[in-house]
Amino acid sequence: MNKEIEKLLFNPIRLKTISFLMTVETCTFKALLDVTTSSKGNLSIQLKKLNDAGLIKIEKYFQKSYPTTDYSITKKGKTSFEDFFKQLQSLKNE
Amino acid sequence: MGSIFIKFFIMTKKEQLIIINEAIKQTKTNLKPIGYNLIFWSIVVISMSLFHYFFPKIVQYSYYSSTIYWVSIPLIGMVYTTYYNIKTGIKIGYETQLDRVIRIIWGVFGFAWIFTVAISILHNINPVQDILFLLGLVLLMNGLIIKFRNITIGGVGLLIFTIYTYYNPGLNLLLVNVIGISFGMLIPGLSLYLHKKDE
Repeated sequence: MNKEIEKLLFNPIRLKTISFLMTVETCTFKALLDVTTSSKGNLSIQLKKLNDAGLIKIEKYFQKSYPTTDYSITKKGKTSFEDFFKQLQSLKNE
Repeated sequence: MGSIFIKFFIMTKKEQLIIINEAIKQTKTNLKPIGYNLIFWSIVVISMSLFHYFFPKIVQYSYYSSTIYWVSIPLIGMVYTTYYNIKTGIKIGYETQLDRVIRIIWGVFGFAWIFTVAISILHNINPVQDILFLLGLVLLMNGLIIKFRNITIGGVGLLIFTIYTYYNPGLNLLLVNVIGISFGMLIPGLSLYLHKKDE
């Protein structure tokens, strides 16, 4: 598995985000705030890092004239998470 | 020293598994809105059928009035439920795969309803039985997907009832609507809204 991605998922906020996104189609920033229980600023930084690594997709659009952002996991994100999870399980079973 | 490092490392991995587990546990398919939608549509259709049954002169005062009555009110209902579902979706903040499947199924039903009504207007036939049959199928699928027995039984019951009406052409289709929707959708919808916890 890519060391860079492993390093990225070592952060609890990023790991919570990716784990949550694995189970949903899309979600809002507020939902991620509830899941990660982090501050807005911190979460924004972590989301940007995940987006830069190509693990998540950020879609911005207008809904009734209000700017809305949807977050979803990418194909690369899913594969990376699955590899990461397998690795964790193999370590746990050892 | 080495073993302490390994122990620390494994514990961290365990913590990571706990984090993953907790994050996944927070995702729930919200079943109350499905119950609300079923109750809403049951009340609309039953009220419309009863009004038509008791006041036929008002509904059928002209050649097209009954068609307008049966098309315009459900269309307004569709607009309202679409608005309600979007609003609920925004409030919840996320959509699970199960939510998406259910949304697609009801979307296809809505499209099939419009298509069936359009065909029935063009060929001057009553669409009640065809719509009830479609509704029975959709309810059956829904019940199986969300694993809620009452909805599944409602769907099967509605399918059997609709097949029965095909073999008994003399039945009043407005009353067929009331009976079919009450037992197939309203009662299961109420039980889903009141009892089923989110999954």
